[in-house]
Amino acid sequence: MKDEIRAFIVKSLLDMDLGYGIEDIEDDTVLGTEGLDLESLVMADLAIRVEDQYGVKFDNDEAEQLALMTVGEFVTTVADRIGQTSTVEPSHQ
Amino acid sequence: MTATVTGIGLLTPVGRGIDDVFDALCAGRSGLSRPAEDHPAANSLEVGGFLPDIDTSEILIGPEANTLDRVVVLALLTAQDALDDAGIVVGRDVEPERVAVIIGGVGGMATMERQVLRRAERGRAGVSPYLLPGILPNMPAARVAIKFGIRGYSSSIGTACASGAQAIADGLRLIREDLADVVLCGASEAPLFPTFADTFTNARVLASRWADPTEASRPFDRRRNGFVLAEGAGLLVLERTDHADARGATGYANVVGWGATTDAHHPTTPRPDGAGAIGCMRRTLADAHVEPADVNYVNAHGTGTKLGDVAEAAAIRAVFGETTPPVSATKALTGHMLGTSGVVEAAATAVAVHRRIAPPTYNLDDPDPACAVEHIRKAPLALGAGWALSNSFGFGGQNVSLLFGPPTTTLTRTGSNQGD
Repeated sequence: MKDEIRAFIVKSLLDMDLGYGIEDIEDDTVLGTEGLDLESLVMADLAIRVEDQYGVKFDNDEAEQLALMTVGEFVTTVADRIGQTSTVEPSHQ
Repeated sequence: MTATVTGIGLLTPVGRGIDDVFDALCAGRSGLSRPAEDHPAANSLEVGGFLPDIDTSEILIGPEANTLDRVVVLALLTAQDALDDAGIVVGRDVEPERVAVIIGGVGGMATMERQVLRRAERGRAGVSPYLLPGILPNMPAARVAIKFGIRGYSSSIGTACASGAQAIADGLRLIREDLADVVLCGASEAPLFPTFADTFTNARVLASRWADPTEASRPFDRRRNGFVLAEGAGLLVLERTDHADARGATGYANVVGWGATTDAHHPTTPRPDGAGAIGCMRRTLADAHVEPADVNYVNAHGTGTKLGDVAEAAAIRAVFGETTPPVSATKALTGHMLGTSGVVEAAATAVAVHRRIAPPTYNLDDPDPACAVEHIRKAPLALGAGWALSNSFGFGGQNVSLLFGPPTTTLTRTGSNQGD
């Protein structure tokens, strides 16, 4: 599952045509300024795509944390939430 | 403190840049046509004013490409053209905080339409987080400021078809009040999309049933039956005259007066007594301390609607007397670019003053007696020395007039990038 999520994230970033190479990203690459340097709206765009694809939710106050995560941490977070969605209500309506 | 036009950037259905545009207006080259089969508004418009192909490859890149509206794209391209024409690099030729940018327009409604349709189809996930930075009415000015490092006053103006002229009027005010040395002012409009075209069609204000699309826009003509919707952008570089002289810049014309009034009558129809338009022109002349008899050309708003043209002609007669200055309406060739029309017409008026030649009203084959003024028809008219007025009247009854005179810069020119 994690491989599929990771591939989806990479494909999403490629689809966004960010203007710089992201083919070589590693699991320990940070999404925000320390790594891929995805700006806030790009992070928002990525979150929407992941939410739409996997039926998970990210709260507004999680946005800053997402930018601090590595690709691997983000993949794990998404995978964990996919596991929760069948048993736990979304945190906001 | 006087203000001189030292740069012009125009993207219109009749051409790009003042030389192309003014030549087309004088020679009668129409920019109006049927929509291409694959145009989004192909089923909504009989005729429109479409821009020639433009290269957007350096602007529509990255994740914003789908939601950066055409109004922003056109504003960015036109700003580059205008600054290049003026020979200005912000930071090199003028302090960034002494440059202002004011761009009118209705905003990026076409992109909003597409996003609403995507949302209906896909729900929340269909809506781009980049939508607002791509469509808000302030974004043409804001993004031009970002691209060119403009750090003084900036604003957007939303007075519909008067917005471009009002941007120029505000530019003049900034220079007079010594709040800027250079003002990039004008409008950007991209209204050729289905919802916009359909509402104008349903309001019965668009020209229709013309076998030849180039005949559809006919201001002041007896057979006129509406205006032709068009897209375009225009920005003038308005510069403090002594600032222009200090850097050896050439001037096209001075903006010497402005006036604005509001009809306070009806959302779409002009006041029957013409008081709004009359007051607007009179304020402009008073602002410039120019007598009506010294005006030798009027570029009319002249959209080609039944009521609007009659009201404007009556207002011109009220201001200037039964023998009016020569009058022409260039929307016969360009169509109605909404707020941008005021800029293109201001640019044409500015050039007319200095070249001493005014374009005619094409398609004015049978002047409506109810629109009696001294029409310029069939061919351009040589003008004497004097002043020239341009009118712009918006939906909502918002009126703006501008008055132009010869440039008072040491160096002057009548066309782009050439001294004389």
